[in-house]
Amino acid sequence: MKKDTLILSFESSCDETSVAVIKNGKQILSNIIATQIKSHQRFGGVVPEVASRHHVEEITVCIQMAMDEAEVDYDDLDAVAVTYGPGLVGSLLIGIMAAKTVAFAHDLPLIKSNHLAGHIYSANFVTDLEYPFMALLVSGGHTELVYVKAPGEFETLGDTRDDAVGEAYDKIGRVLGINYPAGKEVDRLAGIGKDTFDFPRAMVQEDNLDFSFSGLKSAFINTVHHADQVHEELSKEDLAASFQGAVLDILANKTFRAIKTHPVKQLVVAGGVAANQGLRSRLASEVAKRNDDIELVFPPLRLCGDNAAMIGAIAQIQYDKKDFADLTVNADPSLDF
Amino acid sequence: MLFIMKILAFDTSNKPLTVAVVEDGKCLARMDSSELKTHSVSLLPDIQESLETAGLSVNDIDRIAVADGPGSYTGVRIAVTVAKTLAFTLDKPLVGISSLRLLAADGTDDKLVVALEDARNDNAFAGAYIKKSGEVVNVIEDQHISMSRLFEKLSNYPAEQIQFVNASEHLAELINEAMPKASVVLTKDSLPDAVKLAQIAENAEPVKDINAFVPTYLRLTQAEHDWIEKGHKEDGNISYVEEI
Ligand SMILES: [Zn+2]
Repeated sequence: MKKDTLILSFESSCDETSVAVIKNGKQILSNIIATQIKSHQRFGGVVPEVASRHHVEEITVCIQMAMDEAEVDYDDLDAVAVTYGPGLVGSLLIGIMAAKTVAFAHDLPLIKSNHLAGHIYSANFVTDLEYPFMALLVSGGHTELVYVKAPGEFETLGDTRDDAVGEAYDKIGRVLGINYPAGKEVDRLAGIGKDTFDFPRAMVQEDNLDFSFSGLKSAFINTVHHADQVHEELSKEDLAASFQGAVLDILANKTFRAIKTHPVKQLVVAGGVAANQGLRSRLASEVAKRNDDIELVFPPLRLCGDNAAMIGAIAQIQYDKKDFADLTVNADPSLDF
Repeated sequence: MLFIMKILAFDTSNKPLTVAVVEDGKCLARMDSSELKTHSVSLLPDIQESLETAGLSVNDIDRIAVADGPGSYTGVRIAVTVAKTLAFTLDKPLVGISSLRLLAADGTDDKLVVALEDARNDNAFAGAYIKKSGEVVNVIEDQHISMSRLFEKLSNYPAEQIQFVNASEHLAELINEAMPKASVVLTKDSLPDAVKLAQIAENAEPVKDINAFVPTYLRLTQAEHDWIEKGHKEDGNISYVEEI
Protein backbone atom coordinates (compact mmCIF):
# COMPACT_ATOMS: atom_id res chain seq x y z
CA MET A 1 0.00 0.00 0.00
CA LYS A 2 1.21 3.47 -0.87
CA LYS A 3 2.27 5.53 2.08
CA ASP A 4 0.41 8.78 2.72
CA THR A 5 2.18 12.01 1.85
CA LEU A 6 1.92 15.01 4.17
CA ILE A 7 2.98 18.40 2.85
CA LEU A 8 3.31 21.56 4.93
CA SER A 9 2.52 24.38 2.52
CA PHE A 10 2.95 28.16 2.61
CA GLU A 11 1.23 30.96 0.69
CA SER A 12 1.98 34.67 1.19
CA SER A 13 1.86 36.18 -2.29
CA CYS A 14 -0.44 39.10 -1.50
CA ASP A 15 -2.38 40.03 1.64
CA GLU A 16 -3.12 36.61 3.14
CA THR A 17 -0.67 34.67 5.26
CA SER A 18 -1.61 31.02 4.99
CA VAL A 19 -0.12 27.74 6.13
CA ALA A 20 -1.71 24.32 5.55
CA VAL A 21 -1.08 20.63 6.09
CA ILE A 22 -2.33 18.60 3.14
CA LYS A 23 -2.57 14.83 2.87
CA ASN A 24 -1.95 13.27 -0.55
CA GLY A 25 -2.87 16.55 -2.26
CA LYS A 26 -6.50 15.70 -1.61
CA GLN A 27 -7.33 16.09 2.03
CA ILE A 28 -7.06 19.28 4.07
CA LEU A 29 -5.81 18.52 7.59
CA SER A 30 -5.51 22.24 8.29
CA ASN A 31 -5.63 25.44 6.27
CA ILE A 32 -4.94 28.51 8.40
CA ILE A 33 -5.61 31.83 6.64
CA ALA A 34 -4.79 35.18 8.25
CA THR A 35 -6.22 37.95 6.12
CA GLN A 36 -5.06 41.57 6.19
CA ILE A 37 -8.14 43.00 4.47
CA LYS A 38 -9.04 45.26 7.39
CA SER A 39 -5.60 46.79 7.37
CA HIS A 40 -5.54 47.56 3.64
CA GLN A 41 -9.11 48.86 3.70
CA ARG A 42 -7.64 51.91 5.45
CA PHE A 43 -5.83 52.71 2.20
CA GLY A 44 -8.41 51.52 -0.35
CA GLY A 45 -6.18 48.75 -1.67
CA VAL A 46 -3.22 46.53 -0.85
CA VAL A 47 -0.10 48.48 0.17
CA PRO A 48 2.91 46.20 -0.46
CA GLU A 49 5.11 47.42 2.42
CA VAL A 50 2.23 47.10 4.90
CA ALA A 51 1.47 43.61 3.57
CA SER A 52 5.09 42.48 4.02
CA ARG A 53 5.12 43.74 7.61
CA HIS A 54 1.94 41.86 8.48
CA HIS A 55 3.32 38.63 6.99
CA VAL A 56 6.29 38.75 9.39
CA GLU A 57 3.90 39.28 12.31
CA GLU A 58 1.74 36.30 11.35
CA ILE A 59 4.04 33.68 9.89
CA THR A 60 5.04 31.57 12.90
CA VAL A 61 1.58 31.83 14.47
CA CYS A 62 0.14 30.37 11.27
CA ILE A 63 2.68 27.53 11.24
CA GLN A 64 1.86 26.73 14.85
CA MET A 65 -1.89 26.71 14.22
CA ALA A 66 -1.57 24.63 11.05
CA MET A 67 0.56 21.99 12.79
CA ASP A 68 -1.67 21.93 15.89
CA GLU A 69 -4.93 21.71 13.98
CA ALA A 70 -3.57 18.91 11.76
CA GLU A 71 -2.23 17.19 14.90
CA VAL A 72 1.08 16.45 13.22
CA ASP A 73 4.71 16.77 14.18
CA TYR A 74 7.63 17.66 11.92
CA ASP A 75 8.60 13.97 11.82
CA ASP A 76 5.26 13.21 10.15
CA LEU A 77 5.90 15.60 7.26
CA ASP A 78 7.22 14.54 3.85
CA ALA A 79 7.88 17.94 2.27
CA VAL A 80 7.53 21.69 2.59
CA ALA A 81 5.97 23.67 -0.27
CA VAL A 82 5.77 27.38 -0.93
CA THR A 83 4.40 29.84 -3.47
CA TYR A 84 7.34 31.54 -5.22
CA GLY A 85 5.30 33.64 -7.67
CA PRO A 86 3.53 35.47 -9.09
CA GLY A 87 2.74 38.09 -6.48
CA LEU A 88 4.20 40.97 -4.49
CA VAL A 89 7.92 40.37 -4.06
CA GLY A 90 8.10 41.54 -0.43
CA SER A 91 5.12 39.38 0.50
CA LEU A 92 6.35 36.30 -1.37
CA LEU A 93 9.72 36.52 0.36
CA ILE A 94 8.28 36.00 3.85
CA GLY A 95 6.63 32.69 2.95
CA ILE A 96 9.70 31.65 0.97
CA MET A 97 12.19 32.40 3.77
CA ALA A 98 9.97 30.69 6.37
CA ALA A 99 9.43 27.61 4.18
CA LYS A 100 13.13 27.32 3.38
CA THR A 101 13.94 27.61 7.09
CA VAL A 102 11.51 24.86 8.12
CA ALA A 103 12.74 22.60 5.29
CA PHE A 104 16.36 23.21 6.30
CA ALA A 105 15.76 22.82 10.05
CA HIS A 106 13.92 19.51 9.66
CA ASP A 107 15.80 18.21 6.64
CA LEU A 108 12.68 18.03 4.44
CA PRO A 109 12.48 18.33 0.67
CA LEU A 110 11.40 21.76 -0.55
CA ILE A 111 8.93 22.38 -3.37
CA LYS A 112 8.45 25.74 -5.08
CA SER A 113 4.96 26.15 -6.49
CA ASN A 114 3.25 28.48 -8.91
CA HIS A 115 0.42 30.44 -7.31
CA LEU A 116 -1.75 30.24 -10.46
CA ALA A 117 -1.33 26.48 -10.63
CA GLY A 118 -2.32 26.39 -6.97
CA HIS A 119 -5.59 28.23 -7.67
CA ILE A 120 -6.46 25.74 -10.40
CA TYR A 121 -5.70 22.75 -8.17
CA SER A 122 -8.01 24.03 -5.43
CA ALA A 123 -10.49 22.01 -7.54
CA ASN A 124 -8.64 18.87 -6.46
CA PHE A 125 -10.40 19.12 -3.09
CA VAL A 126 -13.80 19.03 -4.80
CA THR A 127 -13.56 16.32 -7.41
CA ASP A 128 -11.21 13.86 -9.12
CA LEU A 129 -9.66 15.81 -11.95
CA GLU A 130 -9.76 14.18 -15.39
CA TYR A 131 -7.24 15.25 -17.99
CA PRO A 132 -7.36 17.26 -20.08
CA PHE A 133 -9.51 19.86 -18.33
CA MET A 134 -10.13 23.57 -18.78
CA ALA A 135 -9.59 26.19 -16.09
CA LEU A 136 -10.94 29.71 -15.98
CA LEU A 137 -8.78 31.55 -13.48
CA VAL A 138 -10.35 34.80 -12.35
CA SER A 139 -8.99 36.96 -9.53
CA GLY A 140 -7.78 40.42 -8.57
CA GLY A 141 -4.50 39.75 -10.34
CA HIS A 142 -5.37 37.33 -13.12
CA THR A 143 -7.87 36.46 -15.83
CA GLU A 144 -6.72 33.43 -17.77
CA LEU A 145 -8.02 30.45 -19.65
CA VAL A 146 -5.71 27.54 -18.98
CA TYR A 147 -5.77 24.14 -20.67
CA VAL A 148 -4.45 21.50 -18.30
CA LYS A 149 -3.20 18.63 -20.46
CA ALA A 150 -1.84 16.36 -17.77
CA PRO A 151 -1.02 16.65 -14.06
CA GLY A 152 0.94 19.89 -13.66
CA GLU A 153 1.07 20.63 -17.41
CA PHE A 154 -0.47 23.94 -18.30
CA GLU A 155 -1.08 25.82 -21.52
CA THR A 156 -2.38 29.38 -21.35
CA LEU A 157 -4.96 29.84 -24.11
CA GLY A 158 -6.09 33.34 -23.21
CA ASP A 159 -5.02 36.13 -20.91
CA THR A 160 -6.14 39.64 -20.10
CA ARG A 161 -4.68 42.41 -22.24
CA ASP A 162 -5.20 45.03 -19.51
CA ASP A 163 -6.97 44.81 -16.15
CA ALA A 164 -7.64 41.58 -14.33
CA VAL A 165 -11.36 41.05 -13.83
CA GLY A 166 -11.18 41.43 -10.03
CA GLU A 167 -9.23 44.63 -10.48
CA ALA A 168 -12.00 45.98 -12.72
CA TYR A 169 -14.54 45.19 -9.96
CA ASP A 170 -12.45 47.14 -7.44
CA LYS A 171 -12.08 50.12 -9.75
CA ILE A 172 -15.77 50.47 -10.60
CA GLY A 173 -16.59 49.70 -6.97
CA ARG A 174 -14.61 52.78 -5.96
CA VAL A 175 -16.78 54.88 -8.31
CA LEU A 176 -19.88 53.45 -6.60
CA GLY A 177 -18.42 54.29 -3.19
CA ILE A 178 -17.71 50.66 -2.29
CA ASN A 179 -14.47 49.99 -0.42
CA TYR A 180 -11.93 47.42 -1.59
CA PRO A 181 -12.47 44.53 -2.13
CA ALA A 182 -15.63 45.46 -4.01
CA GLY A 183 -16.47 42.20 -5.78
CA LYS A 184 -18.87 40.80 -3.23
CA GLU A 185 -20.96 43.99 -2.90
CA VAL A 186 -21.08 44.61 -6.67
CA ASP A 187 -22.21 41.00 -7.10
CA ARG A 188 -24.98 41.55 -4.51
CA LEU A 189 -26.17 44.78 -6.14
CA ALA A 190 -26.05 43.14 -9.58
CA GLY A 191 -28.38 40.42 -8.29
CA ILE A 192 -30.99 43.09 -7.54
CA GLY A 193 -30.57 45.39 -10.57
CA LYS A 194 -31.18 45.10 -14.31
CA ASP A 195 -28.72 45.28 -17.22
CA THR A 196 -30.04 48.57 -18.68
CA PHE A 197 -26.85 50.41 -19.70
CA ASP A 198 -25.61 48.00 -22.35
CA PHE A 199 -21.89 48.50 -21.75
CA PRO A 200 -19.47 47.27 -24.44
CA ARG A 201 -18.49 43.59 -24.54
CA ALA A 202 -14.87 43.95 -25.58
CA MET A 203 -13.36 41.43 -27.96
CA VAL A 204 -16.22 38.95 -27.93
CA GLN A 205 -16.30 39.20 -31.74
CA GLU A 206 -12.61 38.47 -32.02
CA ASP A 207 -11.39 34.96 -32.64
CA ASN A 208 -8.71 34.90 -29.96
CA LEU A 209 -9.26 33.86 -26.35
CA ASP A 210 -7.89 36.99 -24.71
CA PHE A 211 -9.82 39.30 -22.42
CA SER A 212 -10.04 43.06 -22.03
CA PHE A 213 -11.85 44.96 -19.31
CA SER A 214 -10.44 48.47 -19.51
CA GLY A 215 -12.94 49.61 -22.17
CA LEU A 216 -15.81 48.37 -20.04
CA LYS A 217 -14.37 50.05 -16.98
CA SER A 218 -13.98 53.37 -18.86
CA ALA A 219 -17.52 53.19 -20.25
CA PHE A 220 -18.81 52.61 -16.74
CA ILE A 221 -16.84 55.48 -15.22
CA ASN A 222 -17.83 57.86 -18.07
CA THR A 223 -21.50 57.00 -17.60
CA VAL A 224 -21.34 57.76 -13.87
CA HIS A 225 -19.35 60.98 -14.35
CA HIS A 226 -21.67 62.24 -17.04
CA ALA A 227 -24.69 61.61 -14.81
CA ASP A 228 -22.92 63.46 -11.97
CA GLN A 229 -22.38 66.47 -14.21
CA VAL A 230 -26.02 66.72 -15.20
CA HIS A 231 -27.09 65.92 -11.63
CA GLU A 232 -28.84 62.78 -12.65
CA GLU A 233 -29.21 59.98 -10.11
CA LEU A 234 -28.41 56.55 -11.54
CA SER A 235 -29.46 53.28 -9.96
CA LYS A 236 -26.45 51.65 -8.34
CA GLU A 237 -28.13 48.30 -8.71
CA ASP A 238 -28.66 48.76 -12.45
CA LEU A 239 -25.10 50.02 -12.90
CA ALA A 240 -23.76 46.98 -11.07
CA ALA A 241 -26.02 44.61 -13.02
CA SER A 242 -24.96 46.20 -16.32
CA PHE A 243 -21.27 45.96 -15.44
CA GLN A 244 -21.55 42.40 -14.25
CA GLY A 245 -23.70 41.49 -17.27
CA ALA A 246 -20.92 42.61 -19.60
CA VAL A 247 -18.24 40.82 -17.54
CA LEU A 248 -20.19 37.57 -17.54
CA ASP A 249 -20.84 37.77 -21.29
CA ILE A 250 -17.13 38.22 -21.94
CA LEU A 251 -16.07 35.42 -19.58
CA ALA A 252 -18.71 32.96 -20.80
CA ASN A 253 -18.09 33.72 -24.48
CA LYS A 254 -14.34 33.14 -24.30
CA THR A 255 -14.61 30.14 -22.01
CA PHE A 256 -16.98 28.19 -24.24
CA ARG A 257 -15.05 29.24 -27.31
CA ALA A 258 -11.98 27.63 -25.68
CA ILE A 259 -13.91 24.48 -24.88
CA LYS A 260 -15.01 24.23 -28.49
CA THR A 261 -11.44 24.14 -29.77
CA HIS A 262 -10.15 22.12 -26.81
CA PRO A 263 -12.84 19.60 -25.82
CA VAL A 264 -12.78 18.67 -22.15
CA LYS A 265 -14.92 16.90 -19.58
CA GLN A 266 -14.38 19.37 -16.78
CA LEU A 267 -14.39 23.14 -16.44
CA VAL A 268 -12.69 24.40 -13.29
CA VAL A 269 -13.39 27.97 -12.20
CA ALA A 270 -10.85 29.23 -9.67
CA GLY A 271 -9.52 32.40 -8.04
CA GLY A 272 -11.20 35.06 -5.90
CA VAL A 273 -13.80 35.99 -8.54
CA ALA A 274 -14.93 32.34 -8.66
CA ALA A 275 -16.81 33.25 -5.47
CA ASN A 276 -19.07 35.52 -7.57
CA GLN A 277 -22.66 34.23 -7.44
CA GLY A 278 -23.54 35.76 -10.80
CA LEU A 279 -20.63 33.93 -12.45
CA ARG A 280 -21.57 30.64 -10.78
CA SER A 281 -25.16 30.68 -11.97
CA ARG A 282 -24.30 32.01 -15.43
CA LEU A 283 -21.78 29.26 -16.18
CA ALA A 284 -24.14 26.63 -14.74
CA SER A 285 -26.96 27.74 -17.03
CA GLU A 286 -24.62 27.91 -20.06
CA VAL A 287 -23.51 24.34 -19.42
CA ALA A 288 -27.13 23.19 -19.06
CA LYS A 289 -28.16 25.09 -22.20
CA ARG A 290 -25.38 23.58 -24.30
CA ASN A 291 -26.23 20.09 -23.15
CA ASP A 292 -22.48 19.47 -23.04
CA ASP A 293 -21.37 16.62 -20.89
CA ILE A 294 -19.22 18.94 -18.82
CA GLU A 295 -18.70 18.87 -15.09
CA LEU A 296 -18.53 22.41 -13.75
CA VAL A 297 -16.17 22.59 -10.77
CA PHE A 298 -16.24 25.50 -8.35
CA PRO A 299 -14.05 25.29 -5.27
CA PRO A 300 -15.81 26.15 -2.00
CA LEU A 301 -15.68 29.87 -1.17
CA ARG A 302 -12.89 29.44 1.38
CA LEU A 303 -10.65 27.94 -1.29
CA CYS A 304 -11.38 30.61 -3.93
CA GLY A 305 -9.28 33.27 -2.23
CA ASP A 306 -5.58 32.84 -1.61
CA ASN A 307 -4.81 29.91 0.68
CA ALA A 308 -2.04 27.40 1.32
CA ALA A 309 -4.21 24.30 0.85
CA MET A 310 -4.22 24.86 -2.91
CA ILE A 311 -0.41 25.07 -2.83
CA GLY A 312 -0.34 21.71 -1.06
CA ALA A 313 -2.49 20.26 -3.87
CA ILE A 314 -0.20 21.33 -6.75
CA ALA A 315 2.87 20.53 -4.63
CA GLN A 316 1.72 16.91 -4.34
CA ILE A 317 1.99 16.56 -8.13
CA GLN A 318 5.48 18.06 -8.00
CA TYR A 319 6.35 15.75 -5.11
CA ASP A 320 5.32 12.71 -7.14
CA LYS A 321 7.53 13.95 -10.01
CA LYS A 322 10.37 14.62 -7.54
CA ASP A 323 10.38 18.22 -8.71
CA PHE A 324 12.30 19.58 -5.72
CA ALA A 325 13.95 22.94 -5.17
CA ASP A 326 17.06 23.84 -3.18
CA LEU A 327 17.65 26.51 -0.55
CA THR A 328 18.45 29.18 -3.15
CA VAL A 329 14.77 29.59 -4.15
CA ASN A 330 13.89 33.22 -4.74
CA ALA A 331 10.65 35.08 -5.40
CA ASP A 332 9.54 35.45 -9.02
CA PRO A 333 6.92 38.23 -8.91
CA SER A 334 5.91 37.95 -12.59
CA LEU A 335 5.94 34.15 -12.87
CA ASP A 336 3.52 32.68 -15.42
CA PHE A 337 2.97 29.16 -16.69
CA MET B 1 30.15 21.49 34.25
CA LEU B 2 30.67 24.73 32.44
CA PHE B 3 28.05 25.48 29.82
CA ILE B 4 29.58 26.53 26.52
CA MET B 5 27.13 28.40 24.37
CA LYS B 6 27.04 27.87 20.62
CA ILE B 7 25.47 30.75 18.74
CA LEU B 8 24.35 31.07 15.14
CA ALA B 9 24.34 34.75 14.19
CA PHE B 10 23.45 36.54 10.98
CA ASP B 11 22.67 39.97 9.58
CA THR B 12 21.21 41.04 6.23
CA SER B 13 19.96 44.47 7.22
CA ASN B 14 22.08 46.18 4.57
CA LYS B 15 24.15 45.28 1.52
CA PRO B 16 26.67 43.06 3.30
CA LEU B 17 25.59 39.62 4.39
CA THR B 18 27.33 38.13 7.39
CA VAL B 19 26.84 34.74 9.03
CA ALA B 20 28.85 33.21 11.88
CA VAL B 21 28.88 30.24 14.19
CA VAL B 22 30.47 31.19 17.49
CA GLU B 23 31.29 28.99 20.48
CA ASP B 24 32.15 30.57 23.80
CA GLY B 25 33.09 33.81 22.07
CA LYS B 26 35.31 32.06 19.52
CA CYS B 27 34.50 31.96 15.83
CA LEU B 28 34.03 28.43 14.45
CA ALA B 29 32.90 29.56 11.02
CA ARG B 30 31.98 32.73 9.28
CA MET B 31 30.86 33.83 5.84
CA ASP B 32 30.70 37.38 4.60
CA SER B 33 29.78 38.88 1.32
CA SER B 34 29.91 42.57 0.63
CA GLU B 35 29.02 42.19 -3.02
CA LEU B 36 25.55 42.80 -4.30
CA LYS B 37 24.28 39.29 -3.76
CA THR B 38 20.63 38.59 -3.22
CA HIS B 39 20.18 37.95 0.50
CA SER B 40 17.01 35.93 -0.04
CA VAL B 41 19.01 33.54 -2.23
CA SER B 42 22.24 33.34 -0.19
CA LEU B 43 21.18 33.39 3.45
CA LEU B 44 20.03 29.78 3.98
CA PRO B 45 22.86 28.22 1.89
CA ASP B 46 25.37 30.37 3.82
CA ILE B 47 23.90 29.28 7.15
CA GLN B 48 24.06 25.68 6.01
CA GLU B 49 27.68 26.01 4.88
CA SER B 50 28.74 27.81 8.08
CA LEU B 51 27.30 25.03 10.20
CA GLU B 52 29.06 22.42 8.06
CA THR B 53 32.37 24.25 8.42
CA ALA B 54 31.82 24.42 12.17
CA GLY B 55 31.07 20.70 12.17
CA LEU B 56 27.70 21.26 13.81
CA SER B 57 24.12 20.40 13.09
CA VAL B 58 21.56 23.16 13.45
CA ASN B 59 20.19 21.21 16.42
CA ASP B 60 23.49 21.72 18.26
CA ILE B 61 22.96 25.49 18.29
CA ASP B 62 22.02 26.93 21.70
CA ARG B 63 20.97 30.38 20.59
CA ILE B 64 20.07 32.29 17.44
CA ALA B 65 21.12 35.92 17.09
CA VAL B 66 19.92 38.35 14.45
CA ALA B 67 20.34 42.04 13.69
CA ASP B 68 16.73 43.22 13.73
CA GLY B 69 16.97 46.71 12.24
CA PRO B 70 16.75 49.50 11.46
CA GLY B 71 17.98 49.03 7.91
CA SER B 72 16.71 48.09 4.49
CA TYR B 73 13.10 47.01 5.14
CA THR B 74 13.30 43.97 2.90
CA GLY B 75 16.81 43.09 4.08
CA VAL B 76 15.87 43.17 7.75
CA ARG B 77 12.72 41.14 7.10
CA ILE B 78 14.71 38.38 5.39
CA ALA B 79 17.01 37.81 8.37
CA VAL B 80 14.28 38.32 10.97
CA THR B 81 11.92 35.87 9.24
CA VAL B 82 14.63 33.21 9.07
CA ALA B 83 15.74 33.81 12.68
CA LYS B 84 12.24 33.79 14.08
CA THR B 85 11.14 30.75 12.09
CA LEU B 86 14.30 28.85 13.02
CA ALA B 87 13.95 29.69 16.73
CA PHE B 88 10.24 28.82 16.60
CA THR B 89 10.52 25.56 14.70
CA LEU B 90 13.50 24.23 16.72
CA ASP B 91 12.38 25.76 20.00
CA LYS B 92 15.65 27.66 20.50
CA PRO B 93 16.25 30.96 22.30
CA LEU B 94 16.30 33.99 20.00
CA VAL B 95 18.09 37.30 20.51
CA GLY B 96 17.50 40.42 18.42
CA ILE B 97 20.23 43.06 18.39
CA SER B 98 19.95 46.52 16.92
CA SER B 99 21.61 46.75 13.50
CA LEU B 100 23.06 50.11 14.59
CA ARG B 101 24.54 48.61 17.76
CA LEU B 102 26.19 45.97 15.60
CA LEU B 103 27.70 48.64 13.35
CA ALA B 104 28.84 50.60 16.42
CA ALA B 105 30.60 47.49 17.70
CA ASP B 106 33.14 48.05 14.94
CA GLY B 107 33.89 51.60 16.13
CA THR B 108 36.92 52.81 18.07
CA ASP B 109 37.08 52.21 21.84
CA ASP B 110 36.12 55.12 24.10
CA LYS B 111 34.82 57.25 21.23
CA LEU B 112 31.19 58.20 20.97
CA VAL B 113 30.34 56.00 18.01
CA VAL B 114 27.35 57.23 16.02
CA ALA B 115 26.06 54.47 13.76
CA LEU B 116 24.14 55.70 10.75
CA GLU B 117 21.96 54.44 7.98
CA ASP B 118 21.04 56.86 5.25
CA ALA B 119 17.24 57.30 5.22
CA ARG B 120 17.31 59.80 2.32
CA ASN B 121 16.35 63.50 2.23
CA ASP B 122 19.08 64.37 4.78
CA ASN B 123 17.60 61.95 7.30
CA ALA B 124 19.18 58.96 8.93
CA PHE B 125 18.50 56.10 11.24
CA ALA B 126 21.02 56.86 13.95
CA GLY B 127 22.07 55.62 17.38
CA ALA B 128 25.06 56.59 19.54
CA TYR B 129 27.12 54.08 21.51
CA ILE B 130 30.27 53.96 23.61
CA LYS B 131 32.46 50.87 23.60
CA LYS B 132 33.80 50.21 27.08
CA SER B 133 35.67 47.08 28.08
CA GLY B 134 34.02 44.93 25.45
CA GLU B 135 30.52 46.29 26.08
CA VAL B 136 28.69 48.44 23.54
CA VAL B 137 26.69 50.87 25.68
CA ASN B 138 23.83 52.83 24.19
CA VAL B 139 23.99 56.61 24.77
CA ILE B 140 21.46 58.04 22.31
CA GLU B 141 18.71 55.61 21.41
CA ASP B 142 18.17 54.46 17.83
CA GLN B 143 15.85 56.77 15.96
CA HIS B 144 14.82 58.14 12.61
CA ILE B 145 16.14 61.69 12.69
CA SER B 146 17.12 64.58 10.44
CA MET B 147 20.87 65.12 10.27
CA SER B 148 20.54 68.72 11.51
CA ARG B 149 18.63 67.53 14.58
CA LEU B 150 21.24 64.82 15.14
CA PHE B 151 24.04 67.42 15.05
CA GLU B 152 22.16 69.45 17.69
CA LYS B 153 21.88 66.39 19.91
CA LEU B 154 25.59 65.75 19.56
CA SER B 155 26.61 69.34 20.24
CA ASN B 156 27.28 68.57 23.93
CA TYR B 157 30.07 66.19 23.00
CA PRO B 158 33.52 67.29 21.84
CA ALA B 159 33.51 66.74 18.07
CA GLU B 160 36.96 65.12 18.04
CA GLN B 161 35.56 62.43 20.38
CA ILE B 162 32.81 61.53 17.91
CA GLN B 163 33.14 58.83 15.29
CA PHE B 164 30.40 58.35 12.71
CA VAL B 165 30.23 54.88 11.19
CA ASN B 166 28.42 53.56 8.11
CA ALA B 167 28.04 57.03 6.62
CA SER B 168 26.95 57.22 2.98
CA GLU B 169 28.94 59.62 0.79
CA HIS B 170 26.15 62.13 1.13
CA LEU B 171 25.87 61.90 4.92
CA ALA B 172 29.68 62.18 5.12
CA GLU B 173 29.48 65.49 3.27
CA LEU B 174 26.89 66.81 5.72
CA ILE B 175 29.04 65.67 8.66
CA ASN B 176 32.17 67.32 7.23
CA GLU B 177 30.29 70.58 6.95
CA ALA B 178 28.65 70.50 10.39
CA MET B 179 31.30 68.73 12.48
CA PRO B 180 34.59 68.86 10.60
CA LYS B 181 36.54 67.57 13.59
CA ALA B 182 34.54 64.35 13.92
CA SER B 183 35.89 61.23 12.27
CA VAL B 184 33.85 59.39 9.65
CA VAL B 185 33.90 55.77 8.50
CA LEU B 186 32.16 55.37 5.16
CA THR B 187 29.62 52.65 4.40
CA LYS B 188 32.07 50.76 2.21
CA ASP B 189 34.41 50.43 5.21
CA SER B 190 31.72 49.68 7.80
CA LEU B 191 31.11 45.98 7.60
CA PRO B 192 28.79 44.32 10.11
CA ASP B 193 30.45 41.32 11.71
CA ALA B 194 28.31 38.36 12.74
CA VAL B 195 31.01 37.22 15.19
CA LYS B 196 30.55 40.48 17.08
CA LEU B 197 26.79 40.03 16.79
CA ALA B 198 27.10 36.65 18.50
CA GLN B 199 29.33 38.10 21.21
CA ILE B 200 26.84 40.87 21.99
CA ALA B 201 23.97 38.37 21.89
CA GLU B 202 25.61 36.00 24.35
CA ASN B 203 24.88 38.32 27.26
CA ALA B 204 21.59 39.70 25.96
CA GLU B 205 18.12 38.73 27.12
CA PRO B 206 16.36 36.32 24.72
CA VAL B 207 13.07 37.31 23.12
CA LYS B 208 10.09 36.37 25.34
CA ASP B 209 7.48 35.88 22.64
CA ILE B 210 9.00 34.59 19.40
CA ASN B 211 5.69 34.87 17.52
CA ALA B 212 5.56 38.60 18.29
CA PHE B 213 9.15 39.21 17.18
CA VAL B 214 9.28 41.68 14.25
CA PRO B 215 11.89 44.00 12.77
CA THR B 216 12.57 47.37 14.37
CA TYR B 217 11.71 49.58 11.41
CA LEU B 218 11.68 52.85 13.41
CA ARG B 219 9.39 54.26 10.75
CA LEU B 220 5.78 53.84 9.75
CA THR B 221 5.10 52.96 6.14
CA GLN B 222 4.31 55.95 3.91
CA ALA B 223 0.70 54.76 3.59
CA GLU B 224 0.19 54.59 7.37
CA HIS B 225 1.93 57.92 7.84
CA ASP B 226 -0.36 59.60 5.29
CA TRP B 227 -3.40 57.91 6.80
CA ILE B 228 -2.60 59.31 10.25
CA GLU B 229 -1.84 62.75 8.73
CA LYS B 230 -5.40 62.75 7.41
CA GLY B 231 -6.57 62.67 11.02
CA HIS B 232 -7.18 58.94 11.38
CA LYS B 233 -6.25 57.34 14.66
CA GLU B 234 -5.09 53.84 15.40
CA ASP B 235 -7.89 52.09 17.22
CA GLY B 236 -6.32 49.73 19.70
CA ASN B 237 -9.40 47.52 19.56
CA ILE B 238 -9.20 46.78 15.86
CA SER B 239 -7.15 43.82 14.79
CA TYR B 240 -5.95 44.47 11.26
CA VAL B 241 -5.16 40.86 10.62
CA GLU B 242 -7.76 38.19 11.28
CA GLU B 243 -7.81 34.48 10.99
CA ILE B 244 -10.67 33.37 8.73
ZN1 LIG C 1 -4.44 34.48 -5.95
